[in-house]
Amino acid sequence: MTLPLAHAGHWLESVVYLVPIVGFGLWLAYTTIQDRRRQRREGGDDADG
Amino acid sequence: MRRRKVLGAAGLAGAALAALPAGTSAHGISQRADVPIPEEVFVFGASGVLVVSFVLLAFFWPTEKLERETWRPIGKGDPRGAQPAFWQVIDVFCGAVGVLLLGLVLWAGFDGVQTPAANVVPTFVYVIFWNGLVLISILFGDVFRAFNPWRAAAIPAAWIAGRVAKGPLPPTLRYPEGLGRLPAALGLALFAALELVIDDGNLPRNVAIATLIYSIATWVGMALYGIETWLDRGEAFSVYFNLFSRVSPLERRNGVLGLRKPLSGLTGVTQLPGTVLFVAVMIGSVTFDGFKEGPTFTSWTPHLSDFWNSLGFSLKHSLELANLVGLIGAIAAIWGFYEIGVRGARTVGGGFSQARLARAFVHSLVPIAFAYVAAHYMTQLLFQGQAMAYLGSDPLGRGWNLFGGRDSGIDYGVIGATATWYWQVGFVVLGHVAGLVLAHDRALVLYDDAREAVRSQYWLLFVMVGFTSLALWLLSKANA
Repeated sequence: MTLPLAHAGHWLESVVYLVPIVGFGLWLAYTTIQDRRRQRREGGDDADG
Repeated sequence: MRRRKVLGAAGLAGAALAALPAGTSAHGISQRADVPIPEEVFVFGASGVLVVSFVLLAFFWPTEKLERETWRPIGKGDPRGAQPAFWQVIDVFCGAVGVLLLGLVLWAGFDGVQTPAANVVPTFVYVIFWNGLVLISILFGDVFRAFNPWRAAAIPAAWIAGRVAKGPLPPTLRYPEGLGRLPAALGLALFAALELVIDDGNLPRNVAIATLIYSIATWVGMALYGIETWLDRGEAFSVYFNLFSRVSPLERRNGVLGLRKPLSGLTGVTQLPGTVLFVAVMIGSVTFDGFKEGPTFTSWTPHLSDFWNSLGFSLKHSLELANLVGLIGAIAAIWGFYEIGVRGARTVGGGFSQARLARAFVHSLVPIAFAYVAAHYMTQLLFQGQAMAYLGSDPLGRGWNLFGGRDSGIDYGVIGATATWYWQVGFVVLGHVAGLVLAHDRALVLYDDAREAVRSQYWLLFVMVGFTSLALWLLSKANA
């Protein structure tokens, strides 16, 4: 049995290709959550008003 | 607010660009000997270009430019007038050439030597027709329509049938609207399966059998639903090359040649059911071709093959089924990823259904499909395309020397590994930027609110970055 760590170079170079899409996906998820919170807040403000 | 969000995306990409190259040069990341920086770094550069393009579009492309009619006849042609005699002659000539080439494929396939490298059929079908015609369509428009042998044969056949019947032919059936371009998608997937799944799919006889079956199916489809309807929805290659031709600035309308803005032809793609699947097959089949050559799928193949073998399939068929799983998986992955992006775009508002929005933006994937084809098959076209010099002189592999090219060879020095890599990256980046432009332009028309339009594009940008990363990863693995 070989430790995956011993061959890290083989799969790490593939993982690198995921970084832009994962990074962008995380940013997108963050902005979506922020927007929903803001919309809820605005909705709440309207209901109060 | 909008600007802050857009700049946020740019900032994220900029940070990635600035920070990651140092990390990627660490131990364990391989480097191509002939590329000055690790291949992996290119993915950040390419993604960065997309993000910067997105920002530029958001700021400097405020109204639609491609969705407007931009076609203008070249010279004094009148698009409403009768088809000029010159073009009629050209059409007849090209159609005849197409029919002759179809006949050559069948003849050489059935009657020629069955060594793929010595028979013209595999090179002609898989390299010249399948790859070369894509490039020609991008540059010169829908050239295939003129050369389409099935159309060229069907038109006079319908005319003769009318003469023989001595009266009007029975009307064609009403094409089921729900079917859309699904028959074309199926045809394209079957062609991809012949090339990538079937063990001896490059055997001249098998290519000829497939051609014969496809020809009969096409003519039956044309007879049932009408020639033009079937060309638009059922004939896989017409749909395939027509989509690519819409990138070109050249278009013929009613026999008159005209110019339009490059890419603008894609905005006129009718949003029929099955179009998204068709484009997913376009990109997915190339994806699988690249994936199949890499170490990941190679390591999966024995397990997949063993599974099918344990169910009683022969070793040959087990391997084919393993490839089929890979092909379907690649198409499903492309389709699924695009649908995820569209689902995300729906969250910004507008009230569109998933299917409506998916079809509305699907044209933006066509330049990406071209980028995939160009990046993956360019070297094949450059190298194996040269084989046509000797295969054309001896199409059946019988030792003929019809045009004196029998003794010519292939010059593998026409392009080096480094130049190939730069061209591949260039195609990938350019194709995805073109996709972004089209998606942005469509969003401006689709959404009433400019803010929603830009926000919907975050998700399309997500899709483009994903496809860019996938394309470069596949290329790096295939080239390894």
